Amino acid sequence: MTAGPLPVDKACPSCGAQVEDTDSFCESCGTELAPPAVSTPPPGYTAECPVCSVDPASPPAAISAEGYCESCGRKVPSGRDHSELDLGLLAGATDRGLRHLRNEDAMALAATDTPGGPVAIAVVCDGVSTSPRPDEASLAAAQAAVRALLTSVRRGEDRTEASLAAVRSAHQALARLGSGGQAPSTTYVSAVIDCDAITVCWLGDSRAYWLAAGSGAMRLSTDDSVAEEMVAAGALAEADALASPHAHVITRWLGVDFADPQPHVVRFEPPGPGVVLVCSDGLWNYRPDAAGLAELTLPAACTDPLGTATALVKFALDAGGSDNITVVLAPVPLAPLAQERPHPPLSPYGGE
Amino acid sequence: MTDSGFTVDVDQNQYLPEDGREVSAIVTVTAGADAAGLSGPGSAGGEPGSAEIVIVDCSGSMEYPHTKIAEARAATAAAVDVVRDGVWFAVIAGTNRAQPVFPADGSMARADASSRAAARQAVAGLRAEGGTAIGQWLMLARQVFEAYPAKLRHVILLTDGKNQHESPEQLAAAVGQCEGVFSCDCRGVGTDWEVNELRTIATALLGTVDIVPDPSGLAADFAAMMESAMGKQVADVALRVWTPQKASVKFVKQVAPVVDDLTGRRTPSGPQSGDYPTGAWGPGESRDYHVGVEVTPAGVGQPETLAARVGLVAESPSGAEVLGQGKVLARWTDDEALSTKINPRVAHYTGQAELAAAIQEGLEARKQGDEETATAKLGRAVALAHQSGNEDTAKLLAKVVDVVDVETGTVRLKKQVEDADEMALDTRSTKTVRARK
Repeated sequence: MTAGPLPVDKACPSCGAQVEDTDSFCESCGTELAPPAVSTPPPGYTAECPVCSVDPASPPAAISAEGYCESCGRKVPSGRDHSELDLGLLAGATDRGLRHLRNEDAMALAATDTPGGPVAIAVVCDGVSTSPRPDEASLAAAQAAVRALLTSVRRGEDRTEASLAAVRSAHQALARLGSGGQAPSTTYVSAVIDCDAITVCWLGDSRAYWLAAGSGAMRLSTDDSVAEEMVAAGALAEADALASPHAHVITRWLGVDFADPQPHVVRFEPPGPGVVLVCSDGLWNYRPDAAGLAELTLPAACTDPLGTATALVKFALDAGGSDNITVVLAPVPLAPLAQERPHPPLSPYGGE
Repeated sequence: MTDSGFTVDVDQNQYLPEDGREVSAIVTVTAGADAAGLSGPGSAGGEPGSAEIVIVDCSGSMEYPHTKIAEARAATAAAVDVVRDGVWFAVIAGTNRAQPVFPADGSMARADASSRAAARQAVAGLRAEGGTAIGQWLMLARQVFEAYPAKLRHVILLTDGKNQHESPEQLAAAVGQCEGVFSCDCRGVGTDWEVNELRTIATALLGTVDIVPDPSGLAADFAAMMESAMGKQVADVALRVWTPQKASVKFVKQVAPVVDDLTGRRTPSGPQSGDYPTGAWGPGESRDYHVGVEVTPAGVGQPETLAARVGLVAESPSGAEVLGQGKVLARWTDDEALSTKINPRVAHYTGQAELAAAIQEGLEARKQGDEETATAKLGRAVALAHQSGNEDTAKLLAKVVDVVDVETGTVRLKKQVEDADEMALDTRSTKTVRARK
């Protein structure tokens, strides 16, 4: 993965000028080439009230600028309460859950083609609720990290170095958010999925799993949490540790109050086909073990990552939905990038 | 908010239990420092924004004691003195009929040094003879105002007696015709007037009511009332309450500075909204309202619901203008710690409204000779006044009952109570203490 990509003649989808494989932006018109997809809310709210619109007795009502239905008064969902992203190679869904008033999770996905084959990138961040503006923190971090990873991958850089550099980018993004001694903070997990290896990098308790049939399923990350440390020290069994009141106290995170957070990086070479799952604790709280998650996920995720991701979100909602839920799935081996995508301008290079 | 707008702050507990339907909020409305954006008071050159009429009771009883009519003349002169230049004004004498005193032809004069002097001279000639027909006085004021396009129309009404020379129906009809035409501050001098009668007029006409037991206090009171009227800058402001479908407004009460139930005064302003009159506002003026809404539960875990939107609206040449707005929200939760929490300001004003009611009911029972009810109600009032730190009301109560235990509200009715003390307690029963945020 360290070899530089060979330049191939490509055209900018916007102006037709020649662009290089390593370019993130068209040098001629500035259009972003194959931009990553982020669970950013589109500005504004849904156009119609999800409650009133199904009631034939209710007159069609406007949605106020602040997002309330002018008929029933209910706050309608903003783009961030529930969003789904589908890049073909990988897909994700994030949801506010049933108990939290907003979605403080964020996800950012990218897919690109390199001379070494297609690469999928996923970043999931879960804003730390006790810090100020956790929703902005998670979004800013995920967005900055995925851009940094995408640029590094296009340049053919080492995945471990790229992962650490992406954390630094996310850290800087949080520094730009920070105001007056306050430190918006978030957990962080990234996965760079190449044809032959998966590079996972994390801080906090958002997780990455390798899900495969049989006994092959395993967790790729270890939580930076009190619970995990108790288990690691042999003090408690996993179930008891998770039930303890401090189970979710995290010991590392991404935030400007944590100058050198020392993220973990692991590289995993999958022995065969399977699915990479990247998720926040809103999912794994209800099914922490890899085998159990594999059971829920396979084999559907191999052919329908988006449908399976939304099914996992629903599983967590049905189980109580006590936290924000984010699920990203990438089937391995990665499918070749298709020419046509249902989602926005993903890859003008795809399909060879 | 701009300086000419209103700020609207909502204080509430948004959380309701799963089947909770009642949302209660304290809405604090504060006029901007420069609230003149819509209708400024009269200024040189332009149309005057304000018009003032003083109605002086000149019934025969005003001669007993003779100082009463003398002080009334002095008080009217004092009020005329503080009418600002350019403001239209007039003085009416009230007996069993109503008669223009100044200008004598039933018109209005534009205030300046010479018109004020002429008014003082006319007022000096007031004599007390005849009866009391307050409805007719109000109707003449209405007629005098009609020819002048002022937006802020205000009356100071002074009486010393009951409305004896017309029926209660005639008075009620007159008050009804004057609603929305002008506001009216009422003062009763001495102790022979009826508290309920003046309170009904003042409430309907969005003014204050008070007792001036000693005629010598009239001049200062009149001047202060006129000063306050001169300070008003925005006329005919309404509280507009929007509620969602399948929801209804249970009550809208002003709770500070005084309790005034506006619930029955709603006029529809749209399919899901109604307007409640608040009268005129001066710059920086602040009032609190208690709004209760019944809503349909949306369910635990569902997104928040807008239970009401409370705004201030004023008529402007381009139609109703929204001067400020706040939101009353509802969320349903299965967390009892959240849903059972009572907002401290809601609790405070609920207590203040109960205090006013306990005083009025207690005094009424006392009049009817029902000492048991009177003792219980006034005792409850003593405890409420104490708990809420309403010291002015506590002092007034102490003139009517002997307090045995302030915490439990154990009291004994005093055998001898001055009429003036009882009437002062009655008229001022609605005064509240402000709950701080």
